[in-house]
Amino acid sequence: MLKFITKIAVVLSLFVFSSVSKAADPIRIPVLNWSSQIVMANVMAQVFEEMGHTAELVPAESASRYEAVRIGDLHVAHETWESTMALPFYAAMDKGGLIDAGSHNLITFEEMGVPNWVIDEGLCPGLPNWEALKSPECAANFATADSDGKGRWLEGPYEWHTDVMPNRLKGLGIDDLWTVKFAGSADALWAELKAAKAEGRGTVIFNWSPNFTDAAGFTFIDFPPYFEGCRLENGGTLETTGCGSPKGWLKKAAHIKFPITHPDAYKFYTKMSFTAPQIGLMADLVDSQGMDHAAAATEFIAQNRDLIDLWKN
Amino acid sequence: MSQSLDSSKDTPVIKCESVFKIFGNNALKLLKSSNGQVDAKTFQEAGCIVGVNNASFGVQKGEMMVVMGLSGSGKSTLLRCISKLTDATSGKIFIDGEDLLSMSNKQLIELRRNKMGMVFQSFALLPHKTVIENIAFPLQIKGTSTLDSMEKALEMVELVGLKGRENYFPRELSGGQQQRVGIARSLAVEPDIWFLDEPFSALDPLIRKEMQDEFLRLQGVLNKTIMFVTHDFDEALRLADRIAIMKDGIIEQLDTPDNIVLNPATEYVKKFTEDVPREKILKIESIMDAYDSNNSSSTQVSKDAIIETLAESILNSKEILTVVDKNNEIVGSLNPAKVIKVIFGK
Amino acid sequence: MLINFKNSRLQQFILLFFVFLLLYFLVPEDENSFLWRLPPLLKDIPLLINNLLDNLMFKWLTVPVWDPDWQMYEDKPIFRLITRSIADFLLFLIIFIREIFLGGLQTIGSITGDSLKGFKWVYLPAIPWTAVVVGLFILGYRLQGLGLALIASIGFFYVSIFGQWEPTMETLSLVLVTAPICFVLGLSFGILGYLNKKVETTLQPILNIAQTMPHFSYLVPILVLFGIGDHAGAVATIIFATPPMIRLTILGLKKISPEVVESGLMSGCNRFQLLFRVLIPTARRDILIGVNQVIMQCLAMTTIAAFIGAKGLGFNLKVALNGLKIGKAAEIGICVVVIAVVLDKLSLAWANKQKDYFANLNFYKKNIAFIYFIILSIILGVIAYISAFYFEKGFNYLYLIPFGEGLTIAPILDAGVDWIWETFFYYLNIFNKFLITYVLFVMRDAYLGMPVVSTFVLVMGAGFIIGGVRSCIIVGALILFIALSEYWNRALITAYMATFAVGVSAILGITVGSICARNDISTKFILGICDFFQTFPSFIYLIPVILLFGITDTSVMIAAIAYASVPATRYTVEGLRSVPSSLHDAASMSGVSNFQRWKSIELPLAFPHIMLGINQTLIFALMMIVLGALIGTEDLGQIIMGCLSRPNGAGIGLTLGIFVSFICLAADNLIRTWADERKKLLGID
Ligand SMILES: Nc1ncnc2c1ncn2[C@@H]1O[C@H](COP(=O)(O)OP(=O)(O)OP(=O)(O)O)[C@@H](O)[C@H]1O
Ligand SMILES: [Mg+2]
Repeated sequence: MLKFITKIAVVLSLFVFSSVSKAADPIRIPVLNWSSQIVMANVMAQVFEEMGHTAELVPAESASRYEAVRIGDLHVAHETWESTMALPFYAAMDKGGLIDAGSHNLITFEEMGVPNWVIDEGLCPGLPNWEALKSPECAANFATADSDGKGRWLEGPYEWHTDVMPNRLKGLGIDDLWTVKFAGSADALWAELKAAKAEGRGTVIFNWSPNFTDAAGFTFIDFPPYFEGCRLENGGTLETTGCGSPKGWLKKAAHIKFPITHPDAYKFYTKMSFTAPQIGLMADLVDSQGMDHAAAATEFIAQNRDLIDLWKN
Repeated sequence: MSQSLDSSKDTPVIKCESVFKIFGNNALKLLKSSNGQVDAKTFQEAGCIVGVNNASFGVQKGEMMVVMGLSGSGKSTLLRCISKLTDATSGKIFIDGEDLLSMSNKQLIELRRNKMGMVFQSFALLPHKTVIENIAFPLQIKGTSTLDSMEKALEMVELVGLKGRENYFPRELSGGQQQRVGIARSLAVEPDIWFLDEPFSALDPLIRKEMQDEFLRLQGVLNKTIMFVTHDFDEALRLADRIAIMKDGIIEQLDTPDNIVLNPATEYVKKFTEDVPREKILKIESIMDAYDSNNSSSTQVSKDAIIETLAESILNSKEILTVVDKNNEIVGSLNPAKVIKVIFGK
Repeated sequence: MLINFKNSRLQQFILLFFVFLLLYFLVPEDENSFLWRLPPLLKDIPLLINNLLDNLMFKWLTVPVWDPDWQMYEDKPIFRLITRSIADFLLFLIIFIREIFLGGLQTIGSITGDSLKGFKWVYLPAIPWTAVVVGLFILGYRLQGLGLALIASIGFFYVSIFGQWEPTMETLSLVLVTAPICFVLGLSFGILGYLNKKVETTLQPILNIAQTMPHFSYLVPILVLFGIGDHAGAVATIIFATPPMIRLTILGLKKISPEVVESGLMSGCNRFQLLFRVLIPTARRDILIGVNQVIMQCLAMTTIAAFIGAKGLGFNLKVALNGLKIGKAAEIGICVVVIAVVLDKLSLAWANKQKDYFANLNFYKKNIAFIYFIILSIILGVIAYISAFYFEKGFNYLYLIPFGEGLTIAPILDAGVDWIWETFFYYLNIFNKFLITYVLFVMRDAYLGMPVVSTFVLVMGAGFIIGGVRSCIIVGALILFIALSEYWNRALITAYMATFAVGVSAILGITVGSICARNDISTKFILGICDFFQTFPSFIYLIPVILLFGITDTSVMIAAIAYASVPATRYTVEGLRSVPSSLHDAASMSGVSNFQRWKSIELPLAFPHIMLGINQTLIFALMMIVLGALIGTEDLGQIIMGCLSRPNGAGIGLTLGIFVSFICLAADNLIRTWADERKKLLGID
């Protein structure tokens, strides 16, 4: 038996050291499960290959990828949304290993809102002003089976903003009319959008822009303006915590060694800065025009050749 | 068969010296403290089960020893000890004069590959192998080439009358057929020592008789050293050179069939043999008197004849008969009255 | 009366339930009372585990490793170096196989050094898909016959013409590496467990936990230890898919009668021969079931593996679901099933193949199938090469049909889902409201309103009645661990969902199983369906159920029931089918009706086996409930999922994963003890 085990061990170790991944050392770019992110990853990969590097697209999960960037298994995380990913992003940065490689050239907005048809149908007259939510008739139009007669806000997963939305309801004094339900994933949000529309039921959901929903028409609710420290968890009071969301950034994260191992690629990466319409185009090429992600990236590069070349040098 | 016994009085092929097999955790300790005086009951109270209790005997080359006893009396265990499938708790076992218990693993494997064969009570065929693969298995383990071993196995298949079924799986065979595969397998390596644990018990009477005949014929040719376990006294009598009767692990008596029947050593053996029709087993030899030339008729009977076969003519003759041996030499005389006593008196 | 009580379980249970209710209503809701809720004494455990993990992954036993990028030594923990070399090994194998199917030269390049890397023109082309399909046909034919040949080749033909070739081959390469590893590991540990009682007893709880722990709870540790990528996916798969193999190996080996072992010994086997030529082949029935399970589990993991970097079908599935493309997702799911079915059938046929010893074949005849394959491959390769000039747009359909360029039935499937929605939504909505208001929320509140002391009385009491003091203590200890944490309320919600899902799945499964076990054809049919749904990625259910039932507990329940009914059905069918036919005959002779026979003869006899199915049902249900966190729940699963993004999430994730697994283990202990006893009583193995 022992002989057998040692034999296996020897064979194993022989193979183990013929390691393959390090030899090629490609730039590893995470791909998540939404179109614009995947197309952007493909754009980067194609540009990096133009520059003479090899690039590898690695399927990943949006939150846990920062840990992978931090320890160097991924080189970049190119779409980092402030409100949903800031937490793991900064956590990884604090632990060391992850650096901030700048932001994209756009302002993201993430807020509760309603699809346009909800306004058109007059399910809650007065929207997008939040005061409209004070009406019980309005709230009733947004009730679901499990909301106990209250109107339902569908918030993203709890970790995204923890208790911000429940607190906001309290701050606005409408928590007797509305309740917050946390969806489990972005997929669930989109499914809810589709289901509510098919059903003709009102829905208030958390959403962001730029996003594919921009095309279908989505209106964010105007809440009292955000200011530093208005939220309960940042030292605000019950009076101020009804404030809306701040405008946010879309950051690029990189592994700390990326600038050293691939200096030119890193330079491109820091310069690379997409605008909302560009990101919209990336999503559109796939979602509306039915292109394959790689083909969409090629098409995108072709359309924006000048810009890309500018960033490359 | 008994001639060969006489002719080879040298070292026995199998030799046991006070072999004990006791199941249980602290068997050895108990055994040591008991000084060789093992009592099944007291051991049982201590949580041990006595399998074999102080067995000492030898089996000569070419001899067939039959082991009998009630269920649970330790027959299989005795065989297992001698084939070293279990380690005897204490005692010595010699195979061809070599100490079995001090053999290295390698030697033991060699011994089993070349010298020993065993037929198991519950067939113990390998379910994933076909008949022919099962039979060829010991050969392949030995390292015989595939083709050779298959040819040999095919021979064995024919020998046990399973031709045409060589590609069946054990589950597709009846119990008797499976047992025949087991027999063929144990014979494939042409062992010198052959252990058979109730090999015919699964067979129907007709086949059993046939197999017994076949077995005797084989033995006549192959002259193996055999230990044979059975529950069937008739079978034992047909086959045995000597019979061992076991009870609670103890060999109560080990003797020739005649002696076991005529002179049971213990009450147990007596009970065991009580219902056995003596005329069926006893030979003329065992009841003849010394030759008395005055008083004997010219009618001759062979000393090796079974009484039953001659009973009618003996009883009809009314006079004292002359007993002769194979070479027609006179060895004794027979009084018909004695025959009557054997058959009717008890 | 008292004597009767000692023997009547029913009376004991009634008394237990009575005490439970008494406590339930007597103990007041008071956060400070230990009778109501235990203090979170163990709340530091997640932190402890986290520190432990952190040390293991980043700090323990570091060795300086030269870092050429920084130009300095960097301290790397040995543990991670080891895991990383295992990862590299796995990756090497995966990419090697992938390159056969999809082309490339990376692995060979890495062995020979980097010299090949610079030459872009040195590129190993893939085997054209046509050749793979033909190869599968030949293989299938050779191993079993025309039937298998058709199944294998048509399956992969489907994959190709639906444009899923590339992701399928990526997934296949992962499975072709992980499944054999699971097999070897499972077999080795199974053998060790069989040979050594101590190994077995230590293995048991580890296996239980590995099989019942939600995948998401160990994704981050795997990600850190093995690095993100196909290899990490492989590791997660191996962790999940090996336990059944180990279990079945031990089971199979233990069943071997000692005489068979002895007959092997008497044939002169040495230890290896005994192991590999007697023991393992004799246990092959169970070992083959193990292989089947390994393949199923490996493919069930495709989607999860995509969370930590595995390429292939799982990733595409996630993308499709994000875009709510249910039809597309279903197409992808079918590809997963195709791989599972083909691999399963081929491996089984290979294992069952009989040798012909007397056919005296020369080299040519022996390898005729392989030679045909090579010749055909070359021909097809040439055709593929020529056809490259023929097809426009740069796609060479005879070499590789690119993703998204194949046929699709997605619109039809989507229309089907829409049709269901339009036709049934109104009724479903009423049903949904009713279920939530009158069943689910009532149940949830009842669970949450349960004083901790009454929970313990119920659970430990059941343990005592079923398995005596031992079970009572084991079950109590498992639950106590959860009760002393901060997550008791969430665990109660998980428990409520599990109870509901298992209850409905069991009723569903036993009913369907009983009906289908009536005759051979329907039995075969239903077992095929079970195989299908066991490998069909369960993620796909998540979106349609949201569309139908919204983001509610109902959705989670429906998804869980859809998934968990599979083992309940399977075990019911198997259990009923194994009732000896002599009993059927005896019953028929005494003139009972079909229903009576089912109720009073078959069901009781099959019940122990069915209970083991319920055990599996619970595991499946919990897995789906945790996954239900993707829909939106407030139970343990929500936190486990959330831990992926928490700074110190690994510890909490693992702890809660262990909680879920403890719930399983507690139920497992009760069910198994009871089933074993029943089996012994009924004299069935
Ligand atoms: N492995 C074992 N462990 C404990 N006890 C055993 C073991 N094997 C046999 N025994 C006991 O040893 C005794 C003798 O058993 P053995 O199998 O030798 O009987 P047997 O004479 O062959 O009976 P049968 O005619 O039924 O085959 C029995 O009491 C049995 O219970
Ligand atoms: Mg026996």
